[in-house]
Amino acid sequence: MTTANNDNRSAAAAAGDALARPAEPGVPAPGTAGRVPRGALAGWRPDALDIGIVVVVLAVIVAGALTTRFFSLANARAILASSAWVGITAIGATVVMIAGSAVSLAVSQTATVAAMIFFETQQLGLLLAIVLTLLAGVAITALQGAVIGYWAANPIVLTIAAGFAIDGVAIWISGGTTVYPKVTAFNGLNATPLGLPLAVYVLLGLTVGAEWFLRRTTAGRQMYLLGENPAAARAAGLPVARVTVSAWAFFGACIALTGIFLAAFNTIANSSVGGTLSLDAIAAVLVGGTAIGGGKGSALRTLGGAVLISAISDLLLLRGFSTGIQLLVKGILVLLVVIAVHVRSARGRR
Amino acid sequence: MIRRLPYRPEILIPVVALGVMVVAFLCTPLFNGHALSSFDLFNTFQGLTQLGLLTLGLGLTMVAGEFDLSVVGTYALGGMIAVRTGQSLPFLGVLAAVAAGAAIGAVQGGLIARLRISSLVVTLATYIALLGATSAMSGGLDVTYTNSAATLWLDRPVAVIFSVPSLITLVAFAIAAVIFGGTRLGREIRAVGGDRRASRVAGVRVDRTLVGLFTASGTLAGLGGALFSYSYATANPNPGFQPLILATVGCLVGGVSLAGGRGLPAGLLAGALSVALLRQIDAVTAIPDYFTELLYAALLGIIVAIDAPGLRRGLDRLRAHALTTRLRDRHQ
Repeated sequence: MTTANNDNRSAAAAAGDALARPAEPGVPAPGTAGRVPRGALAGWRPDALDIGIVVVVLAVIVAGALTTRFFSLANARAILASSAWVGITAIGATVVMIAGSAVSLAVSQTATVAAMIFFETQQLGLLLAIVLTLLAGVAITALQGAVIGYWAANPIVLTIAAGFAIDGVAIWISGGTTVYPKVTAFNGLNATPLGLPLAVYVLLGLTVGAEWFLRRTTAGRQMYLLGENPAAARAAGLPVARVTVSAWAFFGACIALTGIFLAAFNTIANSSVGGTLSLDAIAAVLVGGTAIGGGKGSALRTLGGAVLISAISDLLLLRGFSTGIQLLVKGILVLLVVIAVHVRSARGRR
Repeated sequence: MIRRLPYRPEILIPVVALGVMVVAFLCTPLFNGHALSSFDLFNTFQGLTQLGLLTLGLGLTMVAGEFDLSVVGTYALGGMIAVRTGQSLPFLGVLAAVAAGAAIGAVQGGLIARLRISSLVVTLATYIALLGATSAMSGGLDVTYTNSAATLWLDRPVAVIFSVPSLITLVAFAIAAVIFGGTRLGREIRAVGGDRRASRVAGVRVDRTLVGLFTASGTLAGLGGALFSYSYATANPNPGFQPLILATVGCLVGGVSLAGGRGLPAGLLAGALSVALLRQIDAVTAIPDYFTELLYAALLGIIVAIDAPGLRRGLDRLRAHALTTRLRDRHQ
């Protein structure tokens, strides 16, 4: 087949990202172009998804009540702390997903590199180290965003490749060794004001900030439009590539922030610091009900998703289930929520 | 500004890629000073087994315009199931792995076709779940396959350069080639990937085709995982994304486009063989691991960027611009 074929493609596919489009190419969903995403509670009508989420939350509460130590202050703190790391990254991932670039699978590696850079630059002073790490995260991630935004490259495959490249470069430069900080000023980041880790406050601040940005600013509204209907966004004269790159740049800052907190918590930085951050962040965003195709979602819901997943993992851990089972439950939960979100939005279209 | 290309990319790309890799392979004695032997070729075909089935499964879904991210999860699960259930009866283990792969693929295909939901998100969620299931089955540790008789039998050379697994891989490609070349189904797969709405209108059984394709990719991934873990006498609960990267490179080098609608099993075989040759070259020249990792990543990144519709659109625009400038100049 020839290039001629590609020009027949649907609006969504033509704007890039042939895979994250709605499953039916060539059928621009009628009436969705101008639809404004509603506020979290405005016009709220319970449906299968909401009922499902309530059932899951109730199940967690009941199972929690039957599990010793689940409802304790220390455990609540642990849940919030573990959701903070994933949550900070997930807020960035939410913005990228809303803007229609689906997901990144290079998150773990980027966070690992951020942690290493953070420790390598410690002797320059804490503030400068943080700034440099954030800049590095922004640069690495915005570069991927540029390829996606300007060339409409497939985000999944591109970020898988980028993750491997970042990993390779990190091992090349560091020689595969663990990075130990020379100065311990970073310990301030492990502070727990009012009994909660600093990262939790950062997550809350970031969530509120991102939610405000998405709902109240022009740039935020542009991201919804771009995700909802890329062809319409292009036709409306939106700087599509620039909007995409800025979403990814914000994502990069969030990942770097997570890397900084992970480094401070672990007090060392090695290749396993990032762990399963990529998948955890994606899970939090999707469980929060953000649509993978873009155009719908909110930072607040992602916060809910992150806390819910954290609570479920914690519950399974307390009941003695392995990390494998935790991952299995996470995957199934994501699948169910994704199906529910899709069915709901499909019904809304008809 | 659309100009028909004078060649068919699904043939040209794999032929060029395979040609380059064969030449590079023949040049390896220049780097390491060892003459090539039939054993190098045997190893290449062993490498083909590891990623050929995965490439074929992934490639089939890509031709139909989908992307089955879960193949790497099914691959891990298949290996684990085979090792767990096939300690005394290897065939039973393979059968269990294949059945699990087919079931996983069929369920995913059903969801994607019936609900018309993006394959990306379904297979991503399934991948997470499969990773968890595999890890839960093994306690997160490698599991050893103790039936060394089976391992030896599988790794025994057949006709000097082949082995039973590599022959199975080649047979799978041959079956796919027959289906693509000679049946209605093959044309339908490409139609589904090219323009799904048009093919639905034209009476193509889109849903059934998709379910069949995902069942096939799950089956192939399960089989690939089983053969690999038998051959290495161990099952790894988390192989990471490397098999997926290699398979994706194999598909794209094999002339398949991420946009769908393009690709042939023969091209996929050439793509997988190119990657197998590349791996064999980097094995005999002893390049450090991180460097190979970087090499594959760079390769995939470059191919994806080239495959991106935006880049082509930009080039088309440039060409159109040049043409209009030329026309204007002529008129003046």
